[in-house]
Amino acid sequence: MGAGLVPLIRRALTAVLVGMAIAAAVRVRVRGGVPPQTGGWRELRDDELLGADNPEDRS
Amino acid sequence: MRVAVFGSGATGARISRQLTNSDGVESVEVHDPDPHRLRRILASLGPTAAAGDPRTVGVGVGVVVIATPSGTQAGIARRAVSEGAAVVATTDDLSETRSLLGLDEQARHLRVPVLVGAGYMPGFSCLLAHHAASELDGVDEVHVSKAGTGGPACARQHHRSLSSTALDWRDGRWTRRPGGSGRELCWFPDPVSGQDCYRASLPDALLLAPAFPGVDRVTARMAATRRDRITALLPMLIPPHVEGGVGAVRVEVRGRLGTERRVVVLGSRHSPAVAAATVAACAALHLHDYEVSPGARGLASIEYPGALLRSLAVRGLRPARFEGFTTFA
Repeated sequence: MGAGLVPLIRRALTAVLVGMAIAAAVRVRVRGGVPPQTGGWRELRDDELLGADNPEDRS
Repeated sequence: MRVAVFGSGATGARISRQLTNSDGVESVEVHDPDPHRLRRILASLGPTAAAGDPRTVGVGVGVVVIATPSGTQAGIARRAVSEGAAVVATTDDLSETRSLLGLDEQARHLRVPVLVGAGYMPGFSCLLAHHAASELDGVDEVHVSKAGTGGPACARQHHRSLSSTALDWRDGRWTRRPGGSGRELCWFPDPVSGQDCYRASLPDALLLAPAFPGVDRVTARMAATRRDRITALLPMLIPPHVEGGVGAVRVEVRGRLGTERRVVVLGSRHSPAVAAATVAACAALHLHDYEVSPGARGLASIEYPGALLRSLAVRGLRPARFEGFTTFA
């Protein structure tokens, strides 16, 4: 049983190391783009609240 | 104008206070089954307010504003309509909204308007949807979401709705989905910001779909935590808070402008109880100031919604626009 355990641990460690190497490569080399730098919430002005009614109500 | 206000909880008391301080309101009759609470409220309102009998609407009342717990509003509205009074109902309960909209024929026959869902959401959200749609040539989709609760009755309704069946309008027909499903990250105005929102038993689609003929999709969601979703199936184990904190609504309208597909996102952040009271009070004053046609409907379908939106802005409930994107593929 002990003889079979060592190769198993070795394979598991190898798999973990390979996974880490791929993740590191992806993280370093792939560019995720720039998140939006403008915009956000802005309160509407009085003149922007005129649009919803009939024209005669806007006076 | 004489007004009767039913209910004096977190929202009802504020409606009475706003109406007693408004021009054009001769008197406010406050109805509440709890005599101690009623006395306390009346003491703070001034001479134009008086106690009303909770079993009657009142003689000579022009507008009845209903801010009682969900499940009790349809009966009061039915009595008010039969006595020829206009109605403003603040309900956010799906089945009750259906009952109130069912008063349409009677209300048209008796020539009185019935405004259904005149609160923060539905209510203010309906006005935002209408305003957003006015920027487009055609509306394809309306998606509304809310975060936060007002008083204890609102918190109980929030709890119930998360475990009940949701109703969406999809491709020209009603679709039922389980409450608590359909997680979507919605960005509300700060400080509420990003919240996970889920389907729930909300009446917004019932009120918005008729306002936008030809719309493909109308959905409503509300913010909830993991704990809310887990405990939604149980009775409320902890008594709800007296007053909720800051809440928010968000309305996303997708449609066409010329040959381009566009999206308009409007929102607001406010205390839900204060905002709901402001909307209900302004809706009652709107019925006095403008010729509103008879029948039962939501605020997205009334005449001169822009005027109502402007009067709300004057009282501090001002819409905000999310800027950063306008078109989508």
